[in-house]
Amino acid sequence: MSLTGAAFAVAMGSSALAAAAGAALPRRARRITAGAGTLAAGGAAGVAGVAAMAGRSWGTWLPDVLPLAGVRLALDPLSGVFLAVTGAVAVCAAVYGVGYARPGKEAAGHGPGGLGVDGRVAQAMVPLFVAAMLLVPAAASVSTFLVAWELMALASLLLVAAEHRRRAAVAEAGLWYAVMTHLGLVVVLAGLAAFAAEAHGETFAAMRAASAGLSPAVRGAVFVATFAGFASKAGIVPLHVWLPRAHPEAPSHVSALMSAAMVNLGVYGIVRVGLDLLGGGPAWWWLLVLAAGAVSAVYGILQAAVAADIKRLLAYSTCENMGLVLIGVGACGFLRSSGAGALAALALTAALLHVVNHAGFKTLLFLAAGSVLHATGTRDLDALGGLRSPMPATTALFGVGALMASALPPGNGFVSEWLLLQSLIHALPSGGTLAAVTMPLAVAAVALSAGLAIATFVRAFGVGFLARPRTPAAGRAHESPPSMVTGMAVAAVCCVVLALVPGPVAGGLSRAVAVAVPGPKAVTGPAADAGTLHLAGLPSTMSPLLIVGALLAAVVALAAVLRGAALRRTERLARRRARPWDCGAGPMSARTEYTATSFAEPLQRVFDDVLAPETDVDVTPVAESAYLVDSVTYRARVGDRVEHRLYRPVLAAVAWAGRAARPLANGSVHRYVGYGFYAFTGVLVALAVLR
Amino acid sequence: MNDTLYVQLLDLACGAFLLAGVLVLWRRDLAAIVRLFAVQGAALGVLVAVLGVHDGDTEVIGLAVGIGLLRAVLLPWLLRRALAASGGAAGPAANRETAPLVNVAASLVVAALLALLAYAVTRPVVALDPSPAAHAVPVALTVVLIGFFALVTRRRALSQVVGFLLVDNGITAVAFLTTSGVPLIVEGGVSLDVLLAVLVLQLLTARIRAAFGDTDLDGLRELRD
Repeated sequence: MSLTGAAFAVAMGSSALAAAAGAALPRRARRITAGAGTLAAGGAAGVAGVAAMAGRSWGTWLPDVLPLAGVRLALDPLSGVFLAVTGAVAVCAAVYGVGYARPGKEAAGHGPGGLGVDGRVAQAMVPLFVAAMLLVPAAASVSTFLVAWELMALASLLLVAAEHRRRAAVAEAGLWYAVMTHLGLVVVLAGLAAFAAEAHGETFAAMRAASAGLSPAVRGAVFVATFAGFASKAGIVPLHVWLPRAHPEAPSHVSALMSAAMVNLGVYGIVRVGLDLLGGGPAWWWLLVLAAGAVSAVYGILQAAVAADIKRLLAYSTCENMGLVLIGVGACGFLRSSGAGALAALALTAALLHVVNHAGFKTLLFLAAGSVLHATGTRDLDALGGLRSPMPATTALFGVGALMASALPPGNGFVSEWLLLQSLIHALPSGGTLAAVTMPLAVAAVALSAGLAIATFVRAFGVGFLARPRTPAAGRAHESPPSMVTGMAVAAVCCVVLALVPGPVAGGLSRAVAVAVPGPKAVTGPAADAGTLHLAGLPSTMSPLLIVGALLAAVVALAAVLRGAALRRTERLARRRARPWDCGAGPMSARTEYTATSFAEPLQRVFDDVLAPETDVDVTPVAESAYLVDSVTYRARVGDRVEHRLYRPVLAAVAWAGRAARPLANGSVHRYVGYGFYAFTGVLVALAVLR
Repeated sequence: MNDTLYVQLLDLACGAFLLAGVLVLWRRDLAAIVRLFAVQGAALGVLVAVLGVHDGDTEVIGLAVGIGLLRAVLLPWLLRRALAASGGAAGPAANRETAPLVNVAASLVVAALLALLAYAVTRPVVALDPSPAAHAVPVALTVVLIGFFALVTRRRALSQVVGFLLVDNGITAVAFLTTSGVPLIVEGGVSLDVLLAVLVLQLLTARIRAAFGDTDLDGLRELRD
């Protein structure tokens, strides 16, 4: 067995052991053993993924594991990317989870210390969830893929619902997630089953070989069905509604796993089916993908910019980043259909690199948000603040994550978005009229979402962590246990490495890109020059290291100049000590600070028509006077407009149909069985008569 | 075993299998219904055994023994136990299917119609492989339909359980008649399912009786939301 296969087998074995340990061992041992098993699984999966990316492909067929079809696995470079990302996220989440699930002494007092995540179900499900996420990219037949997909959905559903005894919102989030994920499964199942039936074979190899001979209508239907299903998993607007509910309500290391690893598999599905199995397609497929991505990017970050809940903010940011990834995927397919192979490869490289980068910073951010939740018991940004001195490590790490996420140098998000913009901009001359219309719009969407992302993360970090504590709970915060800080630090180190030396990773993606877009390498990063990205055939290079060096030099120079100026000034004036930011008045209280809501207010005002915020002002006058006010209550809420406009009517119609069908169910058991009997005999009679 | 003997034994087993199913609709006494079910289980065991001996497949013969034990001994014993528990509590009237939703005469006519339907529907299956075993498939499908019909029209919980078991007997018979032996693991799983279902239903029957003093399922109508 090759290194890839051996490492993959180790990953599967250790997650199975960890799941068994999580289900069987007593409370204390369970947490550490399951964490260690998940850690080992993540590490082994990382090795397997990197080996597969390096071209050491591996495949196997286990005919006895599943009846009829057996389990068919294959790791090619494209699978390897997602395997490695999932493995790395699992490593961070496993280390972090050991501390997060510890029933702390604060569990009795304030805060969600115990969190219900140290129960047997939750502890067994984390490794199982990781194993399922590793199986999805490794699957090489429709049946294996769907089984792994469903296993992943069920494990994550149980984890989302882990804390349902603590908060009522968890049950609602679980319900939304269950319905959306299963509807997604149904369309993916329908699409892949139709594809396999038309291709006369359910292995990916057979489908790849047969896809060129299928009729365009079948190919289009398969693509649209699978795209809808995979897009709902990736949290693409308008199929995203489950994501901002389920990700915040899950335990934080599970949020990280879902938001940084699971949603990627939606992208994997689109790339695998659309680009690899179906071998590309007409331009309209990919314009659909691109449009969905652009809408998702802008809408997601807009919602994130006004979200009051820190984990909800991060969840919407996931919608945004997946949207950016889909812009890349869509551009890749579009360019491929118009014959620009090298640019298509560049767009897909950018998309996959953004998957990797997003996984890095989103893991870090969700883990840090969980650390805050662990310490203060609240996720409400308006109730946080002042965490810098009690939680220095968490604050610093969240700061790193926010910088990475805001698409500015020296963040890793910047590197992949730069690549994405390069591919979109250079697509203009080659693509004809359609490209001339769509590509500038896509560039605008990327730029707008990047700008809003900066505002979002400045707000998340500045309001959430800096200044003074806005509530007593925030004031009582304390630093998280070492295991949690370690988990976050590992993610932060990965991000920094990705940000400073993207060359090896971007170069390493070339084999994965070649699976989907056969052709030349798009990005080269010579080993001696790991910090610089050279784009093949385009006059573009970028070196994050040089940018960081220039930034540092600029900051140092600016500081030196300012200090020199200040020194010269103090020579003239007597020096006086004063508190900064007090405007000369006495010490400021927390009530004078910017809150998250007030910080987002200008933005909310600009995008008023899109966000449609709801505000209620209740004025209670004193006795009968119209002018003397006793109290004023102000309530503002920014709902999800897509949900309101698109889902509420559907839900209302379903509820109406349910009420209308009530007389059918009068409570008689015989009647219920009778329905089955009459339907069955009716079908048989129809068969007998019609044949 | 020569072919004539094989066909005759097969027909005999199928005949007993079908007859026991039809008689379940005819009898009102629950104890008699359980006895008929046991007879049908035995007939199914013999049917599978005959198929196994003809094919010389020891695994199928082993399965036949298992099926016979489960369906002719273990399940009837469980049902009888449930019946005995209710007999003491609610008097002899509770042990009769006093007022089925469709009366006995009409039930028998319906059974005949269902048999016709089964023969009509399975013609393509028989035509696919005109072996003696395939010719018996309509019988098995008839038993499925009769079981389903009993499930719909009988009021007592116990006769409903028997109806459910008739459906399962019929499905097992179809499986063995159309394929050359069901894998051990599949049949084992199905049998375990059936056993579990009967255990649950037995428990449920006892609970229903404890709560309502009767096992007429239409009494549950008020329980809907």
